[in-house]
Amino acid sequence: MESFEFQRYVTIGQHMPTGSPIHHLDPRTRIVGVLLLMLAVTFAPGLSGLVVALVGALILTGVARVPINYALKGLLAPLPFILFLVALQVLLGPTMLPSRQVEEAALAVLWHWGPFTVSTFSIVSGLKILLRFPALILIITLFSASTSTAETVHGLTSLLRPLQKLKLPVQDFVLMIQVALRFLPLLAREAERIAKSQASRGAEWGTGRSGLLRRARQALPILIPLFLVSLQRAENLAVAMEARGYRSFSARTSLVQLHFRPKDAVALSGCLILAAVMILL
Amino acid sequence: MNPIISVRDVTYAYPAAGHHAGTSEREALLNVSLEIHEGESVAVVGANGSGKSTLARHLNALLLPSRGQVRVAGRDTREVIHHPEIRRTVGMVFQRPDDQVVASVVEHDVAFGPENLGWPRERIRAQVRAALEAVGLWEERLRPPHMLSAGQMQRLAVAGVLAMRPSCIVFDEATAMLDPAGRRAVRELMRDLHQQGLTTISITHLMDEALEADRVIVLHRGEVAFDGTPATVFRRSEELRALGLDVPTSARVAAALRARIPGLPEHLITVEDLVAALETLPRSAEPATRRMDSPAELDIASPHPAAGSPLIEVTDLGHTYMRDTPFARRAIRDVTLTVDEGLAHGLIGPTGSGKSTLLQHLNGLLRPQEGAVRISSFDLTDPACDVRAVRRMAGLVFQMPEMQIFEQYVGDEIAYGPRLAGLEGETLRERVRWAMTLVGLDFEGFKDRLTFALSGGEKRKVALASTLALQPNILLLDEPTAGLDPGARHELLAHLQQLRAPEEGITIVLSSHQMEDIAALCRDVTVMSQGTTVASDGVSAIFGDADRLEAWGLAAPAAAEIATELNARGWSLSQDIIDEHQLVAALTERLAE
Repeated sequence: MESFEFQRYVTIGQHMPTGSPIHHLDPRTRIVGVLLLMLAVTFAPGLSGLVVALVGALILTGVARVPINYALKGLLAPLPFILFLVALQVLLGPTMLPSRQVEEAALAVLWHWGPFTVSTFSIVSGLKILLRFPALILIITLFSASTSTAETVHGLTSLLRPLQKLKLPVQDFVLMIQVALRFLPLLAREAERIAKSQASRGAEWGTGRSGLLRRARQALPILIPLFLVSLQRAENLAVAMEARGYRSFSARTSLVQLHFRPKDAVALSGCLILAAVMILL
Repeated sequence: MNPIISVRDVTYAYPAAGHHAGTSEREALLNVSLEIHEGESVAVVGANGSGKSTLARHLNALLLPSRGQVRVAGRDTREVIHHPEIRRTVGMVFQRPDDQVVASVVEHDVAFGPENLGWPRERIRAQVRAALEAVGLWEERLRPPHMLSAGQMQRLAVAGVLAMRPSCIVFDEATAMLDPAGRRAVRELMRDLHQQGLTTISITHLMDEALEADRVIVLHRGEVAFDGTPATVFRRSEELRALGLDVPTSARVAAALRARIPGLPEHLITVEDLVAALETLPRSAEPATRRMDSPAELDIASPHPAAGSPLIEVTDLGHTYMRDTPFARRAIRDVTLTVDEGLAHGLIGPTGSGKSTLLQHLNGLLRPQEGAVRISSFDLTDPACDVRAVRRMAGLVFQMPEMQIFEQYVGDEIAYGPRLAGLEGETLRERVRWAMTLVGLDFEGFKDRLTFALSGGEKRKVALASTLALQPNILLLDEPTAGLDPGARHELLAHLQQLRAPEEGITIVLSSHQMEDIAALCRDVTVMSQGTTVASDGVSAIFGDADRLEAWGLAAPAAAEIATELNARGWSLSQDIIDEHQLVAALTERLAE
C-alpha cells in the first residue's frame, strides 16, 4: 500500500551519494555540463540527435550509478502529460506550421478526419517530443542525484560571482534556490502527512475510490494547510537565518574552496562534444 | 557589572491585523523593563500568547520595539549598523529543529553564521571545529543534517550559534520537540555553557526545566508578572495557576505534603530542598513490603475502567518506507502490541523508534507489509478489508494537528468528517455539538469563531473534536500535548480521561515524550526502541525501572525520580510510584506516626 508515499514520485531534488566518478567532479563542472546538455536537448532539430541525447542520458545515469529503473520512475508522473502533447502533435501538428511547410507536410498525409490530420511529418514531430522530454527529465534527475544542495549552492555562487560586480543580488538568488531545493522533499513529506490526516477524518485517499470531481474536492483540504505550513516554515527559516546574521549584500566568505581539476576539463569537453553532436546531427 | 541586555519600557504590537492572528488587537509586549547581566542563567515562562517569543526576538534585533529601547552590550537595536554585532553577541536556538538548518552538510551549516560575518576561511574552520566539538557532533560533521536525530539537530543549532563566539544564547523552547534523551542532552549542554560563563536565556513551558535557572521571569499578556529567583517565584503557586502556569513537580508534592504534615517547612521548591527537609522529619519504620495494586487505587479522580477483550492485536509487524527504491528505509520490525478494549494504552520511545509508523497501521493508513494487524473484527492483511470502515472506527490525531485545520469557521472544520460520512441538517449539528462538548468547547460560543484566531490550546481542541466527530471507538493520539502550555495541557488530559470513562468507552492509544501524560492516563505502556517493541507492561512496572528507562533513552516521570532520589537515601518507598498522588500518599504514610 504505497498510496501515501508522495516522495516516491519526486525523483527530482533527491540527492543520492553513490560516490561515482560524476559525484567527484567539481560542482561547477556539473552545473555547466547539465546546462549545456539541456540546451542541446531542447534545441536539437533532428530525430537522430534526440536518439543520441536519450542514449547519452541513459549511459550517464549508469555512470553515476543511479539505478535506471528508479530514474525512469521519475517519468511516470509527467507521462500522461507527455502523451497528451504527443497526441496533440500527431493529430494537429501540421496546422501549427508556417504555410510553406504545411504544403510539404500535406503531401505525406496518411489519414484525415475532420480537424485531425496525420502525416509522416506529424508522426516524426510526435516522436521528437517522446524522446525530448524523457531525455530532459533524465538529465535533471541525474544532476540532482549527483549534486547535493550544498554543492549546487557553492557552485552557483562561484559561477555567478562576476555578476555581483554589477550589483545584482547573486547571494539572494542562490539562497532562494538553496531553500527551494531543501523544501521540495520537505513539502512532499508535509503533503503526505496532511493527506493522511485528512484521510483519518474520512477523506477518500488511498481507498481506490476517486472520481475526478472527488479528487478536486479532496485537494482543497490538503492545499490550504500545505500552503499555510510552507509559508510558516519559510518564515521560520528566514527568521533563523536572520538571527545568524544573514543579510543581502554583506561581504560573505565561504568555508568551502572549489577545485577545477583536469578531469573536470575532460568531462566538460565530453559534454560539449555530446551537445554539438545532438545539435548537428 | 554592566548588563549585557537591557530592555527599557518596551512595547510592541505586531503590524497589520490578521498578519499574526490573535495578537493584533492588543500589544504583544507592554512596558517591559528588565536587565540581564553577564553570566546569568534566566528562564522566561508564560502561557501561550504571553509574549515570550516576542520578547526573545527583541533580544537580538529580530524585532524592534514599537516604543522603548533594547540595548545589547550597550548598542541600541534600532541602529541597523549594529545588527551584525548584536546578532553575533546574542545567538538564538529555535523550537523546530528542521526549520533552522540552512545547509545540507553539518559543517557547512555551522559555518553559515561565521560566513555571514565575513570571517576568513581559516578562522571559520577553527571555530566550526571548536563549536562541533563543544556539542559533541565533530564525528558527524560530514553527514547531512536530516540524518541526525532531533536531539542532535538541536545541538547542531547550538553549534551554529557557538561558532559565532556569542556571549549570550537564547533558547526559544528549544527542548519542546525533543524526546527525553534529547531534552536531557540539550539541558546538560545549556548547563555546561552557563558554567563556562555564557549568559543563557531559556524560554520554556516546562517548570521543572525553569527550576534549573538562577532567575525566573514570568510573562503574562505581554507584561512581566514576576521576576526573581526560582524560590521566590515558585512559591506563588496559586497566582501562577491563575496565569495558566504551574509550579515544578517537587513544589507541588511539597505543598500537598505540607497540608497533611504540618511539620514540613513552607515553600520547598527544588527536589534537593524537599529531600533535605524530609530527611529531618521522623519517619516510621519501614512498612511491610506491599505492592500498590495499580495507580488507580490512589488516583481517585480517574479510575481505570474494567478492561475488555483485546480490541487491537498487532503481531510481528514490519514496515519499510519507500520500499523498492534506493531510499528504502526500514521503520519497524517484529512489532507486537495488544490493546484491551476500553483502556488507555501508552506508547513511549525515542524519536525515530517507530511510534508514528505503528500508530498509522492502527487505522489502516499503512497496510502491513510483514506480519498482521487486527482491529476489532477487521483483518488489515486481507486485501478486501474495508479500510474506510477501519478509519471510521479508529480516529488518528497527528502531532500538532492544528497545522491541518483548513476551514474558516470552527463549526465547518468539525463538521467536515461527518459531512463526508453523509450526515446533514440537525443530525450533523447535533454531532458537532456532541464532539465540541467532549473537548470542552462551548458549541454556541465557538461554532462561528474563526479558526485562525484561536489560541494554540483551542486549536488543538478543535482538531481533536474534528476527529471525535466521527464517533470512533478507538482514538489514536500522536504526541497530543506537545507544545501546549501547562494550563492547556492539564485541561486536555482531563478531557482525555473523560473519553476513557465507561460512559464514552473510547479506547485510547497515545504516544508521548511526556512521561507524566502517560502516567496520568494509561494503565499499560509499550516501549519502542530502534523500530521494535522492547517491553510491554503496566505503567508502574515500566516507570519503576529507572536504569532500563535510561538505557532506552527515556526518563521516569518527575514524581518517580523524586522517589528514586529518596530511596537512594534509604527511604525504601515502593518501586511502583509513578505520579504525585502516589508519592504524597506513600510519604504521608511513612511520616505519620
